[in-house]
Amino acid sequence: MKDQLTIMVLDDEPIVCKRLKPALEKLGYAVDTFTQSVEAMHQIHQTAYDIVITDLKMKEIDGMRFLEEVKKQHPQTEVIVITGFATMETAKQSFRKGVFDFIAKPFKLNEIQEVVNRAAAKIKGAAV
Amino acid sequence: MWEYLHNLWKRIRWPKPGLVVFPEIFEHFQELLQNHQQVMELIADLGEKSGGEYIFDRKYMADTVDQMHTLLLHMVQRLNLITSNRYLELHPALDRIFVPLESELRGRLSLSGEMPLVVSLAEAPLDRPELTGGKANNLAVIIRNLHLPVPPGFIITTQVYRLFLEFNQLENRIHAWLESWAAGEKDEDQISRQIQYSILAGVVPQEAGVEIKRQADKGAVHWALRSSAYGEDGELSFAGLHESLLNVPPRGVLKAYKKVLASLYSPDALMYRQKMGMLGEDTAMAVLVQELVPSRVSGLIHTLDISAEAVDCLVIYASWGLGRTVVEGRGPVDRFVVERDYPHRIRHREIAAKETLVRPHTSGGEEVEEVSPEEREAVTLSEDQIHRLASWALTLERYFKRPQEVEWAVDQSGQCFILQSRGLVFSKAVTPPQQDICQSCAQYSVLVRDAGVVAHAGVGAGVVAQVSSDLDMTRFPEGAVLVTKYTAPWLARIVPKAAAIITERGSAAGHLATIAREFRVPTLVGVEGATEFLPEGMKITVDTKSRIIYDGRVNELLQYELVQSLAFEDAPEFRLLRRLLSRIAPLHLIDPTAPDFTPQGCLSIHDVIRFIHEKAVEELMDLPGLVKRFKGVHIFTLVSDVPLGLKILDLGGGIDPEASGSRLFPEQIRSAPMKALWEGLSGPGVWSTDPIPVDFKGMMSSLSKTWVETPGAAAAAVSGFNLAVVTETYMNLHLRLGYHFNLVDARIDPDPQRNHIYFRFVGGVTDLTRRSRRAQLLANILSHYHFKVDTKGDLVVAKVLHLPREDQENRLRILGRLIGFTRQLDIQLRSDEDIPEFIEAFFEQNTPA
Repeated sequence: MKDQLTIMVLDDEPIVCKRLKPALEKLGYAVDTFTQSVEAMHQIHQTAYDIVITDLKMKEIDGMRFLEEVKKQHPQTEVIVITGFATMETAKQSFRKGVFDFIAKPFKLNEIQEVVNRAAAKIKGAAV
Repeated sequence: MWEYLHNLWKRIRWPKPGLVVFPEIFEHFQELLQNHQQVMELIADLGEKSGGEYIFDRKYMADTVDQMHTLLLHMVQRLNLITSNRYLELHPALDRIFVPLESELRGRLSLSGEMPLVVSLAEAPLDRPELTGGKANNLAVIIRNLHLPVPPGFIITTQVYRLFLEFNQLENRIHAWLESWAAGEKDEDQISRQIQYSILAGVVPQEAGVEIKRQADKGAVHWALRSSAYGEDGELSFAGLHESLLNVPPRGVLKAYKKVLASLYSPDALMYRQKMGMLGEDTAMAVLVQELVPSRVSGLIHTLDISAEAVDCLVIYASWGLGRTVVEGRGPVDRFVVERDYPHRIRHREIAAKETLVRPHTSGGEEVEEVSPEEREAVTLSEDQIHRLASWALTLERYFKRPQEVEWAVDQSGQCFILQSRGLVFSKAVTPPQQDICQSCAQYSVLVRDAGVVAHAGVGAGVVAQVSSDLDMTRFPEGAVLVTKYTAPWLARIVPKAAAIITERGSAAGHLATIAREFRVPTLVGVEGATEFLPEGMKITVDTKSRIIYDGRVNELLQYELVQSLAFEDAPEFRLLRRLLSRIAPLHLIDPTAPDFTPQGCLSIHDVIRFIHEKAVEELMDLPGLVKRFKGVHIFTLVSDVPLGLKILDLGGGIDPEASGSRLFPEQIRSAPMKALWEGLSGPGVWSTDPIPVDFKGMMSSLSKTWVETPGAAAAAVSGFNLAVVTETYMNLHLRLGYHFNLVDARIDPDPQRNHIYFRFVGGVTDLTRRSRRAQLLANILSHYHFKVDTKGDLVVAKVLHLPREDQENRLRILGRLIGFTRQLDIQLRSDEDIPEFIEAFFEQNTPA
């Protein structure tokens, strides 16, 4: 079962994690969720996820620092950034590099499922 | 901005001779219309979010409320500019709505004093389990949203609990005792005794005591008191830990209340909270006080058979007398295994030799007695009652999205009641270990993928039942999947019975979508061709979370949703959203002639924008006044065989740019809604087959003359002539025909989301009875064309939203014909029996969609 991809979701609003987990599991992914960025940071030093989905604006650790760290630890991990509509443009400007895609909150379940599937296709394509 | 408005205002108020400010007034009017549209869209967006398809957070809600606030301030300013400051009272009205909205968002509302101490079950605020407790919140929802019979009663809220602790200075003492227990200095029995004793010895503060007594003295002779702690019946069960007291006389309610509070600190409850790691948390208990049903039979239903003998069945446990026999497992009881699928066949029944029963004691309290020999082995429930209870339990499960444990009772006359419904607690071992849900679903054949728009997210399965007219409604099977072409408002009545809904047309912001969300029914709208590829009777599973429709019943998926997946509807963010929506979306101001159609009467944001829109349009309707105020307004008179004397005012793109002079011909109309309506109104047969045996033109003119003198509120608003204000995509038409008055407000935009038709009809020459008959007739015809119709006396308000261009045009043509058709109907409608005949006559000429 190694072809099951792993996903980390980090967002300090619990509702985002609670809803994303089943939505992505139904697509066949293994999903871990975190609302505490410190814990998530700890986790990425232990585990290499195929895909990381993270909010940008969080308490404690800033989302930007977090994704830099993800990329440093595991350059092959695809990062998807979810952020409020207002901060979208700044986010895009500062992170064009290294981020797989951006999604503005609020977003439809379908939208994120579609982005995740694209990221997965890229990962699988690279593995072949 | 403010300065600009202020200056502009000065110029309007004291116009210099010859200065033309009318275009600016219109600019404000148009901007006001745009703001109106923007607020409507924000309301619709928020409503859509409650359907679960979107992931959103608190910030989104705060931002949206903020945007609405800004837009409404603009609208209020613009209306006051247009009307010479006649509606300054809208400012305090805005504060009344936005202050609580903003405190909701900050999570401070419970401190604001708006929350009641004691509230009746039927009027309890929904989505506030922190105030009413889980159990009472569920019951309030069951009464208000699901309309199932629940014994009446009231809730002593958590506010009273807090007051009680404060008044008796108990908070710190309890805390200290608990600490000494946690430190191992004392055991739970000692601690429990101390805390319970001090609670029982406490005094209920007068402000609460008076309210409790007042409620207890009305209604039933005897009451049942049950705990309703926050968190109870939610994720944690607390089952049976807190005390229930039955058959309490009114004078005993205060004492019983303290007993129930004290049960929060029974040794068992303390152990349970410690085990769950929530000892340190703030505990708050509400108490539910309900009329006692002196039941002949009572018991429990498990919507999932936890003995796991049959996964497609539910189980009903029943015994004689009050519920304790079953709930506390006091002896053998009857057991009925019933199929979950409609018509709920009884698959298996075990009739026990029932030994004892609990009954209310004549002087209060309960007593246990032997079951009489002839009833020992008698069947407790009739087949009919079993079916009713089964179908209610499944309604509850569909709504709460979890397997349910339902307490019920049947009174001496055979009437059934729901006493409680809570999430069924079962070990995960009962449900077979989940395979990878993705793999399980892959084994089923998919009928359609990625179709339609999600109005409410969820998963439901059942047989397809197609509904195309309200005649089909009575035979709609419980738990079927509703498949229909349109989202007609009369479908609302079957929504609670549906396992899922699929429509070919309609939008996620429409009326049916709102109802579907209220009842939490998974709904997909805009699924092209659904009525063709989903034939009547086919078994399907609808997953609107993934927008997939499967052939057959996908049991793994249904179970995954019921057992594993989050019931998003009960997440705190969704509760907050619904609380916000309840102050934003409902429309209370329907009739502009009603006495509460005032700034003070505005209870929601929707009311405020409705009020502003109406008043702004009304202002423009006073054309002679406006023309006097402003020079240079160009108004065309429509030249036609239809004798309406219609004036047309173009705000941009609504008429042929070549038009000049004061006369306009119908072919020069460019406004899409105006064009469609006019096609209907002037179509063959609409005016020429005159049913009134008098010279039509003569009568029209005589009627027009007397109209202005007609007493009545509707007349006051109309002192001008027939007028249409148009743009390329918009029309606002005020039409006075004889004694009655039509208003049509419509938009036809390439984006259906922006489209609406709003139709208002009032007045008439005859007595109110005949006019009401005509209102009924209109309502009946309009609802066939999928309008949502409200009538009140002779007032008819109909609207339809978000239809694509072609459908909008068709409906406006129909409205045009209908306006012609009904212009004199009140005179002819001599009795109620005449109504169907006229409806027939109309449909003969115009086939319903």
